[in-house]
Amino acid sequence: MKKKSNFIRRSLISALSFLKDSVFAEEYTSRNGFLQGIDPRLKVASFALFFITAIFLKRAELLILLYGLCLLLALFSKINLGWFLKRTWLFIPVFSLLIVIPALFDIFTPGETLFTLNILRAKLVISRQGFFGARLFVMRVIVSVSFAVLLSITTKHFALLKTFRIFGIPQVFVMTMGMCYRYIYLFLKVVEDTYLAIKSRVGTRLDYKKGQHIVAWNISALWNRSYHLGEDVYGAMLSRGYTAEPVILDDFKTKSRDWLWLFFVVIFFVIILYIDRRVL
Amino acid sequence: MSNVVFELRDVYFSYLGKFEALCGVDIAIEKGKKVSVIGANGSGKSTLLHLLDGLIFADKGSVKFQGKELSERDFNDEDFSRNFRRSVGLVFQDPDIQLFCPTVKEDIIFGPLQLGIEKEEIKKRLDELVTILNIGDLLNRPPHELSIGEKRKVALASSLIINPDVLLLDEPTAGLDPLTTRHIMDLLISANASGKTIITSTHDLHIVEEISDLVYVFSHEKKIAKFGQVDLILEDIELLEANNLAHIHSHRHKDKIHIHPHVHLGHHPEEENLR
Ligand SMILES: Nc1ncnc2c1ncn2[C@@H]1O[C@H](COP(=O)(O)OP(=O)(O)OP(=O)(O)O)[C@@H](O)[C@H]1O
Ligand SMILES: [Mg+2]
Repeated sequence: MKKKSNFIRRSLISALSFLKDSVFAEEYTSRNGFLQGIDPRLKVASFALFFITAIFLKRAELLILLYGLCLLLALFSKINLGWFLKRTWLFIPVFSLLIVIPALFDIFTPGETLFTLNILRAKLVISRQGFFGARLFVMRVIVSVSFAVLLSITTKHFALLKTFRIFGIPQVFVMTMGMCYRYIYLFLKVVEDTYLAIKSRVGTRLDYKKGQHIVAWNISALWNRSYHLGEDVYGAMLSRGYTAEPVILDDFKTKSRDWLWLFFVVIFFVIILYIDRRVL
Repeated sequence: MSNVVFELRDVYFSYLGKFEALCGVDIAIEKGKKVSVIGANGSGKSTLLHLLDGLIFADKGSVKFQGKELSERDFNDEDFSRNFRRSVGLVFQDPDIQLFCPTVKEDIIFGPLQLGIEKEEIKKRLDELVTILNIGDLLNRPPHELSIGEKRKVALASSLIINPDVLLLDEPTAGLDPLTTRHIMDLLISANASGKTIITSTHDLHIVEEISDLVYVFSHEKKIAKFGQVDLILEDIELLEANNLAHIHSHRHKDKIHIHPHVHLGHHPEEENLR
């Protein structure tokens, strides 16, 4: 029992640092790849189209095509595909399963029976409609999450915030977004550091009961700590003149290649939605 | 409106309304002076510097910058805020907090960019600082991967590049090796010689003499125990002892243990060479 909870905790910690490294992998933003070279404004616009496509597509094949495009883009942006797959797939279960599992069963989505599960004598019937609806939903999540991760790892944080401002997203929201980003990062870092600190004090064979007594493990304490760190970091940003109207070194420059890219994406968007609607 | 940059009168500050951090502080700092703030851990030095940097605001009492009372509302005014940030720079005690960009270079140029300084000028200043602090190799690395001393140098560069008239430094030499400490001291002294006001918080009595005209000693009660010319303060062993700045030193000497008060002064190898 002891071993088990220890194992769970350790996996949780590594999952968290994994999460931290994936969303906050800024090193990719400075690589000399395809997406990194595109004007962030046009890039955000084109990704907005990708998100819309992912939400509206009804045919699984087309979603797979869209996903393929995403992976291809990652490849051209000098992102290690194995790395990218591992990172995105980590979120997908988190996002989708929680929402989708109830919808699988015919209590929520009535229809033809696909499988029947016998759990505790209660018959749980997975309906055909439930299954396919869920499959489509999961695929949409996969595609959207992949595109979101791709956008965030090929665009510098402050450049992204600046783009949001250019698109007329109000300052408060952009500021909040930046803060949330920072808090989550710091939270994950605090969890990681606390784990190390505990390890150094009590060793890896941390027993569960004892672990609970260590105040730092209290989630709210951890959150508090990252909140304070966040405040401090924000103070440091203010101190150096930050005003939620981020200024970045390289001004956005649109090359004809960028317009060509957006043009391609618009065409793609129109065609794929047309096929999707017509064949249905 | 004379030469006074900062004037604090009977300032109180507490965190979250319950953890007292400053209890009735009076300070006046003149333009172009070197001032240091010394005191035990938790005596309110960092709080004071944050207050001077307009990051927190007094609960009671007044804080004036160039004769004008600082209030939170003023910082909503973009022009005021920008002018203030250009004139006052703070090097945080914890470099991890100060460094938040993906690479060292981006971190260093963050401030001047936000403040609208010309890009050519930024580049020039960056090159200068990189040479002085010898951090050329670090420029493309993520700040969180650096050693503490390297981080401190980068944090220092990121504030110095703004070229403010008033520099607030929170323990700028903690954790630095003697030679780096020396370089940083020289940097600060030459900045002061060119007219900048320097306000340093430190425990390191080695450096106090060089970087202060005036010293404020913070007491455990979180107010000023004494202030005055640097030599007068450093002579006052009793005061220093009472505030954890000098400690009783014991060592073995021919089978006898000697105990005497001990102030870390003049132990610096480079210091002797320079004189
Ligand atoms: N964020 C905070 N929340 C609550 N109390 C705080 C906070 N920061 C500081 N304090 C308290 O305020 C007092 C003064 O702290 P401050 O950081 O100014 O001390 P300091 O002189 O800089 O100490 P050190 O030499 O250790 O850096 C301390 O008693 C501390 O416990
Ligand atoms: Mg301090």
